[in-house]
Amino acid sequence: MIEFRDVRFEYRTQGEGQAATPAVNGITERIGEGEFVAILGRNGSGKSTMARLMNALLLPTGGTVWVDGMNTQDGDMLWEIRKTLGMVFQNPDNQIVSTTVEEDIAFGPENLGIEPAEIRRRIDEAARYVGIEEHMHHSPHMLSGGQKQRVAIAGILAMEPKCIVLDESTSMLDPRGRKEVISLVRRLNREKGITIVLITHHMEEAIHADRIMVMENGRIIMKGTPREIFARVDELKKAGLNVPHVTRFMYELKKKGLVHSGTVLTVEEAEESLKKVLDGAVTTFRPAAFAGPAEDTRDVIVRIRNLTHVYMPGTAFERKALDGVSMDIKRGEILGIIGHTGSGKSTLVQHLNGLLKPTSGSIEVDGMECTGKTLKELRQKVGLIFQYPEHQLFEETVYKDIAFGPSKMGLPEEEIKKRIKHVISILGLSENLLDKSPFELSGGQKRRVAIAGVLVMEPEVLVLDEPTAGLDPRGSDEVFSFLTRLNRTNGTTIVIISHSMEQIAAYCDRVAVLNRGRLEMLDTPRNVFSNEELLRRIGLDVPEITRLFRNLAGAGYPVSGNVLTIPEAVDEIAAIVRAQKTGEGGMAR
Amino acid sequence: MIGNITLGQYIPGNSVLHRLDPRSKIIWTLLLMIAVFVINSWQEYVIMGAFIALLLVISGIPAKQSLKGLKPLVVILAITAILNIFFVQGTPIVQLGPVAITYEGVASAVMLFLRLVMLVVAASLMTLTTTPMALTDGIEHMLKPMERIGVPAHEIAMMMSIALRFIPTLMEETERIMKAQASRGADFDTGNLIKRIKSFIPVLVPLFVSAFKRADELAEAMEARCYRGSKGRTRLKQIRFTSLDIKACIVGVLFMVLLFGARFVSL
Repeated sequence: MIEFRDVRFEYRTQGEGQAATPAVNGITERIGEGEFVAILGRNGSGKSTMARLMNALLLPTGGTVWVDGMNTQDGDMLWEIRKTLGMVFQNPDNQIVSTTVEEDIAFGPENLGIEPAEIRRRIDEAARYVGIEEHMHHSPHMLSGGQKQRVAIAGILAMEPKCIVLDESTSMLDPRGRKEVISLVRRLNREKGITIVLITHHMEEAIHADRIMVMENGRIIMKGTPREIFARVDELKKAGLNVPHVTRFMYELKKKGLVHSGTVLTVEEAEESLKKVLDGAVTTFRPAAFAGPAEDTRDVIVRIRNLTHVYMPGTAFERKALDGVSMDIKRGEILGIIGHTGSGKSTLVQHLNGLLKPTSGSIEVDGMECTGKTLKELRQKVGLIFQYPEHQLFEETVYKDIAFGPSKMGLPEEEIKKRIKHVISILGLSENLLDKSPFELSGGQKRRVAIAGVLVMEPEVLVLDEPTAGLDPRGSDEVFSFLTRLNRTNGTTIVIISHSMEQIAAYCDRVAVLNRGRLEMLDTPRNVFSNEELLRRIGLDVPEITRLFRNLAGAGYPVSGNVLTIPEAVDEIAAIVRAQKTGEGGMAR
Repeated sequence: MIGNITLGQYIPGNSVLHRLDPRSKIIWTLLLMIAVFVINSWQEYVIMGAFIALLLVISGIPAKQSLKGLKPLVVILAITAILNIFFVQGTPIVQLGPVAITYEGVASAVMLFLRLVMLVVAASLMTLTTTPMALTDGIEHMLKPMERIGVPAHEIAMMMSIALRFIPTLMEETERIMKAQASRGADFDTGNLIKRIKSFIPVLVPLFVSAFKRADELAEAMEARCYRGSKGRTRLKQIRFTSLDIKACIVGVLFMVLLFGARFVSL
């Protein structure tokens, strides 16, 4: 279907004298018809360039790319190639052309000059297939991210392609949206035999692929089935990637000699393989019960009482985003906020620094009411970092951009300089970046510069709305490692909105669960994730590891049902196996 | 939230007005607007008002919805009304020191008010019954004849529809950036005019950067979906001048003739 023959691609460099670094460096590869291939790699590894080479948005500077027997360099074949190979891009907003869903799906076929009656048939069929038919006449900007991406896929389906390339199409979506898109893509591959090329850095999405290719610096450094690739945990880690959590867990067990199974990819597989290990465990051995939450003596830094917020009151669009939320945020804690998109998370955090005013109820930060007078002081106390903060950079140099906040605070130049130095060292940015334009930096660097611009104001409470969205695994790890460092060394209170239950479980002291504007629960991650009934009702996930252990406990195996992290899980199994062995030893004696 | 504002305020329906060709609706609206400015006697006001009310009923659009467009005009409306009331010369009703409220002043204020209401309702009748896409389609077709003299009709229409599509997105984005910069201590509400304008630089720069990025990505996405201008392009919804449109045009012309014909007859 797609063939790369010794393909090279170099972006024209803007700076003079700089050696052009090839984005794609000598790739020879074949993707067969009906195959489902996942391409993994860090940001900037050349994945997106590969995608663009496939449908002639870019032409190779060396070698040739063939799509269904057509050379992408053949100008006459251009439209035929793009019709055969459709592409779904990363940002759902930036690929929808029309003001209604229906017209947008029709855009491709219209361009192909297809008869109106036939367009009608195709778009109806495509919309039904992706499950968007009840939104046909809606405006796309009213849809969720997952729905928008499904509209984009429908738009391609209506062109009747043989192959669909998804260029990080799930990276801006919430877990629900991601699931929608991935299950749709799998269905397309299975039912319609459409060749799928899925570019992603969510490892869990890649396990369904027939084959995985891992890219680094414009080269394919690994390829094979998901099982083969995810067996090479250490190599992937070195490439800045990761493996699915259960895979990682079983790998750790294997390294300790506790299990001997092959690479597992899913919770179900891990369950099967652990059952074999645990089958001998007839003892009623129970590991020590986890201590309940210790009495928390830390003082309260944010006091929220009966907070209600209504958007556009008195209009047809009136919407209650927060409904009587009361909670305390303790000084020095890391608090996670979870909930679906639209559950009120963002609305809640925007009250913390007075960007939004309560419709009713009150909020107090360090004893200050959030009213007009104290607003300036409040915003120094509470630093708020939005999703994709790099989109707010505007100055000529990184230094000036970071200095924006402190100079608004009226700090002396010397102090600003000192603070900036300190902040970039915390964030692991090098000092010679300071004179560069923020727009020249890589995505991960930009994100850190933007975060620096808030940190430099030395807030007592730092609020982050999905700080790792769109980052690759290593980038995400880096963000969390400096957040925990900040929390430990400066005692900064941190509030994180995240969709990753694994991150919440691993880093947060407490978790607030929001649903439809109400606070459903506020407790330790362990207690929150053991409240099965609540999470199921809301439809939130638990960490994979927790799910695995809960399944095992449910099947009657003597394991704790509320394990949260991989190290914990490894200890748990190790303890059981040890107990088993001493038990056997005892009998032998 | 700004995101909820819909620019194309289309309300789905199946009335005669909904089914009309956008071109006839554009022509109709233009005619109505001209008429609203030409009328000057009370009788004409009544006829005109009744006619627009009739159209509103036919369209099945709630009156409240169509009057919404008046909201942003309230201030201007109030100011001009006051100016009219106080400064139009004529027979005084009440004398307030040097200024007098005159009969003519009140009359012209009321007429002005009615004119604006009719104007807004007439225009909203079009925007509420026509999808933005159909509107741009109509404009494209009406500009088509001018393509020969170098007017890029298709491109203009495409640009308009993309603008319509992205206005809500960019408004959301503006709000987001403003909030982000406010969190970093930016202050948009105090200081003199120059200071305030300056305070918008941190909003405008990222907004433009992102708008250009969006434009780039959109262009790429359009290309990937085989967009190559109007050449060889078909449309899902062919706009067609039907017998309904012909009837509508006849009714329109008849109405105009009656409205202004009456003027000459009574003369």
